[in-house]
Amino acid sequence: MASSDERPGAYPARNGAENQPPGDPETMKTVMIDKGAAMMQSLKPIKQMSLHLCSFACYGHDPSRQIEVNFYVHRLNQDFLQCAVYDSNSSKTHLIGVEYIVSERLFEALSPEEQKLWHSHDYEIQTGLLVTPRVPELVAKTELQNIAKTYGKFWCTWQTDRGDKLPLGAPSLMVSPQDVNMGKIKPGLLKKRDDEYGISTESLKASRVDIMGPERKNPMADYWVHHGKGLAVDIVETEMKKLAPFP
Amino acid sequence: MASSGGDDQVPPGGPVTFSTRVIDAGSTIMQRRLPVKQMNCHVSTFAIYGSDMFRQIETHHYVHRVNDEFLQCAVYASDRSDAPLIGIEYVISDRLYESLPQDEQKLWHSHAYEVKSGSWAYPRLPEVVAAPELKNMAKTYGKFWCTWQIDRGDKLPMGAPELMMSPQGAGQGVLRPELVKRRDEKYNISTDELKDKRAEIAEPEWINPMADYWKQHGKCFVLDIMTVEMNRNAQFP
Repeated sequence: MASSDERPGAYPARNGAENQPPGDPETMKTVMIDKGAAMMQSLKPIKQMSLHLCSFACYGHDPSRQIEVNFYVHRLNQDFLQCAVYDSNSSKTHLIGVEYIVSERLFEALSPEEQKLWHSHDYEIQTGLLVTPRVPELVAKTELQNIAKTYGKFWCTWQTDRGDKLPLGAPSLMVSPQDVNMGKIKPGLLKKRDDEYGISTESLKASRVDIMGPERKNPMADYWVHHGKGLAVDIVETEMKKLAPFP
Repeated sequence: MASSGGDDQVPPGGPVTFSTRVIDAGSTIMQRRLPVKQMNCHVSTFAIYGSDMFRQIETHHYVHRVNDEFLQCAVYASDRSDAPLIGIEYVISDRLYESLPQDEQKLWHSHAYEVKSGSWAYPRLPEVVAAPELKNMAKTYGKFWCTWQIDRGDKLPMGAPELMMSPQGAGQGVLRPELVKRRDEKYNISTDELKDKRAEIAEPEWINPMADYWKQHGKCFVLDIMTVEMNRNAQFP
């Protein structure tokens, strides 16, 4: 069945001028619940996503397909972060996936089979691809130094870059920009991001020369770089686990 | 935000250092975080692993209503500030669902039972405020990928995502009473009472048989990660 690149077929949710899910703007009634909820509910986990990072990611089965990504990061502890990932930073953005980020220490404890699914972060930080919008480099430095030594696992659940108006198919495993041909971010994509945020990736590089990657970069991470093969995700129809009759 | 440290916890890890706290405080002031602010509604509900329906979990959806036919939700394992982010659910109207190709429809689940039975609940929100939203929700379909299987003891997110299904009124879709009871006690609500209050919410006229695929087909969908030749637009490496 549909693998992560295959297009599930023409239908209204894939065409159209605007890159928004079809549907009318909210009616008054649905706005009411949002206001009520905002006043009465606590929303604790959401409030923890206190850091916005902007970077780029590539599709694991085809790293030449690249996207700008916006992470809203929640640091749970010194070794672990979890991120809601969006394709832009406006209020009209799409929630396109989840990324988890672990320290070198936690990564080394994973099985090699699991490690294959993760990517390193040092290249994208050292080259200035990953930025902290509106947070000065000086303030961001410590966090950048920390993240440069980490590994990430990013599932993309909505391929808005290929025009999907609704999330279709299987999640894709994403990989990070790397210092190889296919892993270098296309100049046009980079310029668009830099113009939007009023930054210069080039000049950030200079302030990041002293940022180091992991002590020993694990060769199971960035699997495609070291092994020459991508990772694709397929959906397989299969038997369910059978239960005894319930109740 | 800082956890107490140690490897027994989920996820394992040390307490947050002072310097990382500083950036979090700074960025909260300086950054706008617009997309995250849109997730302004908390829903407590339940989900079931499509490939093993014995595994039922309590979920906490933080919902962003994008328009009157589409919602996107960050899903957590609890409502606490240290809650693990365990997946994403998308919710669409029946109209949008009918426009999907059949192979795609098989990945989605219906919400009518979940809403009418009282499983889908808005903590601390009076039913009268929730009522219009509930009427809308009852006719929707959802697609939920779980990316972290906390319930089986994973301290870190492992493996491929799992496709989740919704509670249903029969067979393997029936929620275990103790799971519901625990949720009810926490929020001081009664799922049975919610069910009574929701008796007047209209059932959808028709639920597409491609949804809740397990019900009529007895099969589920799992993800397989394979190594592949990469499409090469450029020389490698």
